[in-house]
Amino acid sequence: MSLLNAPALWLALLAIPIVLLYLLRLRRRERIISSTLLWQQVLLDREANTLWQRLRRNVLLLLQLLTLALLVLALSRPYVETAGALRGRHIVLLDASASMQATDVQPSRFEAARAQVRQMIEQLGPGSALSVIVVDHAPRALTPPTNDTGELLSALADAQPSLSSANWSAAIALAQAMAGGDSAQITVVGDGAGDIDEAGAASPLALLDGAARFIPVGLSGDNLAVANVSLRRTAGGLAALVQIDNSGEQARDALVSVRVDGVLANARTITVPAGASATWTVTGLDLRATSVHATLQAEAGNWLAVDDAAYAVHAARRMRRALLLSRGNLFLEQALRLLPELEVTRAVTPPVLPPSGQEFSFDLFIVDGVSITLPPQAHALYIGDAAPFTVTGQFSNTAYVRTEAHPIVESVDWRPVHILSANLLDSPDWLKPIVQAQGGPVLYAGQRLDTPLSAPYASGRVVVIPFVLQQSDLPLHIAFPVLMANAIEWLAPAQGADIPLSVHPGQVIPLPPNSAVQRPDGAVVIVGEQGFAETMQPGIYRVALNNGQMTSERAFAVNFFNRAESNIAPRLPAHAGAADPASDEAGAEIAAHELWRWLAAMALLVLIAEWWIDQRGAPTLNLPRAGRTPKT
Amino acid sequence: MVSESFLRSLYGLRLASFQRRPGNVMGERRSVRRGRSIEFADYRTYTPGDDPRRVDWNIYARLERPFVKLYEDEQDLTVHLLLDASPSMHWRDERDIQHNAPSGKWTRATQLAIAIGHIALTSGDRLIVELSNRERFGPRQGATATAELMSFIEDQSAELNAQELTGAAGPNRPALSLNSWWKRYALDVQPGICVIISDLFDPQGCNEGLTALVSARLEVRVLHTLCPAELEPEVVGDVCLKDSESGAAQEVSIDEALLRAYQNRLRAWSNSLNEQCRKRGARYHLTNTGAPIEQVVLRDLRREGWLI
Repeated sequence: MSLLNAPALWLALLAIPIVLLYLLRLRRRERIISSTLLWQQVLLDREANTLWQRLRRNVLLLLQLLTLALLVLALSRPYVETAGALRGRHIVLLDASASMQATDVQPSRFEAARAQVRQMIEQLGPGSALSVIVVDHAPRALTPPTNDTGELLSALADAQPSLSSANWSAAIALAQAMAGGDSAQITVVGDGAGDIDEAGAASPLALLDGAARFIPVGLSGDNLAVANVSLRRTAGGLAALVQIDNSGEQARDALVSVRVDGVLANARTITVPAGASATWTVTGLDLRATSVHATLQAEAGNWLAVDDAAYAVHAARRMRRALLLSRGNLFLEQALRLLPELEVTRAVTPPVLPPSGQEFSFDLFIVDGVSITLPPQAHALYIGDAAPFTVTGQFSNTAYVRTEAHPIVESVDWRPVHILSANLLDSPDWLKPIVQAQGGPVLYAGQRLDTPLSAPYASGRVVVIPFVLQQSDLPLHIAFPVLMANAIEWLAPAQGADIPLSVHPGQVIPLPPNSAVQRPDGAVVIVGEQGFAETMQPGIYRVALNNGQMTSERAFAVNFFNRAESNIAPRLPAHAGAADPASDEAGAEIAAHELWRWLAAMALLVLIAEWWIDQRGAPTLNLPRAGRTPKT
Repeated sequence: MVSESFLRSLYGLRLASFQRRPGNVMGERRSVRRGRSIEFADYRTYTPGDDPRRVDWNIYARLERPFVKLYEDEQDLTVHLLLDASPSMHWRDERDIQHNAPSGKWTRATQLAIAIGHIALTSGDRLIVELSNRERFGPRQGATATAELMSFIEDQSAELNAQELTGAAGPNRPALSLNSWWKRYALDVQPGICVIISDLFDPQGCNEGLTALVSARLEVRVLHTLCPAELEPEVVGDVCLKDSESGAAQEVSIDEALLRAYQNRLRAWSNSLNEQCRKRGARYHLTNTGAPIEQVVLRDLRREGWLI
């Protein structure tokens, strides 16, 4: 047995005052009697009893000292070592992704994982250290590596699962940084669901390269999810497309309800095949509707509840006005004509623009080979030689290299595109290359930063295609209309402000400062300088935009839409076998079981016994205690 | 000390003498001496010098040998009253202290002494009273001496109380142990009845003294006087008991079991004293000072046969 808090043994010195108090207490009251003759004889007769009397008094003292000893020993936190302890440094990655809210393990996977981690903390051996990293979209360590089980358990109790996917890459990097070399044992506690990206790449957990132990949580993969809700205007009114995913191994029936502005509009039972999707289009909805809410209910095979509802916002779209400066470009005009809510005015010569800072009559400018100088707040798409940036050269080695992440290239496959030659621009810093070819960038995008900060308007956004469309086969690919749609949507959003219609939980929306946002639970939040980040609650968020002097009403939806997390089937990384902390190598070490609870309980029992013995030896009620000394 | 009505109720009582003792002067008690009373006692052979008037001539006529008639001799009886005045007899218990009264035990002892002395004086016996501090009253004879006896005891009580209060040893000789006192008393004493009033608290016991008194042809009667606080003590808890005479301290933790043991010990001590007295031909009686004086004298002592 060893002690965790050996300095507490100094408290044993308290025995000295106890003994002193006991000796003081034994100062007997003096009482004069006629003769002690008989008492002496009685005590001689009862020599054994006298011994017992002394012993009884001593028993009380001994019991008091025993109580003190037990308490001091408890404060010194003794422990005994048994098999199963954790030694060394341990980093525990606790999966807090949305799939951990599945209830196939009661009460939930996250609670089961929390119990596993709690068990590890309680098995923490002396001198060892442990840290828990909660892995959600922003992994963070609950505590630095410590041996303080109380602090660890307290921090663990505060951890909550999120509605997002787990960012394992960041979590592993954090764990390896905290491990500080190879000395720390990394343990992953989770279900493994959602840790494989949709492109089918290897799990980030593979980065651990077999150095981690994996404690699996979760039993079943049965789950139904509302994977998508989208709205579309049709001649017969608004149509809602609801997609239901079944990630389980059996076909399931789901009762899907669609509510329009909170009123039930339609409901039906949909049979979803195993591992597949089913769609249902609800037509004839009121065009004036502002939001649609789809929910599903299933009697079985639906262990995750957070993905059983989805929301869609029917934005009051407005017509966007675009000025196309071109000498004629059939591909471009055709692509722009297909875009909804876009009114294109074609001109050959540049118009006279109002002075800087005043409102334009156009939302964006599409400049195709015409030289023009636009004010800084103008949103513009430059094609070919029209860009107002210095051309430093040309290149013809336009083989595709890579695409940076940007809204305008979403779903754009640039690989089959061939370009005869493209301009090499001396682009400012704010204009970022989006598509990189071997010779140089073939697509730029960015928001101007040369606007004065005091300007009462937002700076303009610019997209540059540095080659002539006719000198490439881009217009012949499906990427072209998608690129045009993305670019126009990015330059001039349909909602008039840069508010997406649907975002994921936790996503930050760059709303203008001082705008008011009403959350689904009714609370109103004023947006600060950093945008709106309180998007953890799925539902419809209504925004009162404060854009200069204007105030306009907008709305957006926060949807769970996360197929990786909705597929809750537990998956173990291929490289790591299931491990039980009590049975593997680390668990075979020595565990420390603290004994202070037992010692405190024993101290309480001894204290009760001491009180009982003291009371048992007390006189009966009707006999007065010796207190007065007669004066003779 | 005692009421006059109580003294009157004692009239007619006298101390029973279980033995006949020779006296000094003519009295009302039969004596072992053959005397000149009219009560025939025995015959004996005539020896020269006998009074010829006591020769029984009828016997001489029949047996032709002279015999002298012997008659009972009625002589006086000396009553010795030994009153223990040691500090333990003056000890005041809780009740006395609460009522700010003098020691109930000493008061009762003096009442008993006056009652027995009064009985002895009124029945024509000679009375000698001696306290353990060797103060002596008597010898006196006649009922009129009762007042002197009461005055003597009151004076002694006042003096002893003063000594107790001041803690001074006093001008008188210090109290002896019971054995020393009684052995000294037995050295020069007229045979008679010896009534001892004492609590008998003496570490050395009193057997030797008793033997000495009995050997001096005294008919010893021990009136063992204990107060209720000694018979049934109420002291409990952790106390340091201090002896009122020796000042010796005895630390003791008193509980109910120890109180029971004390009473058993007290009972055994009383039985032992009774046995010692019986062996020596003495009488023993234990009296509780809490009982009324009338009950003790008129009922208990008469039941014991001490008074007739």
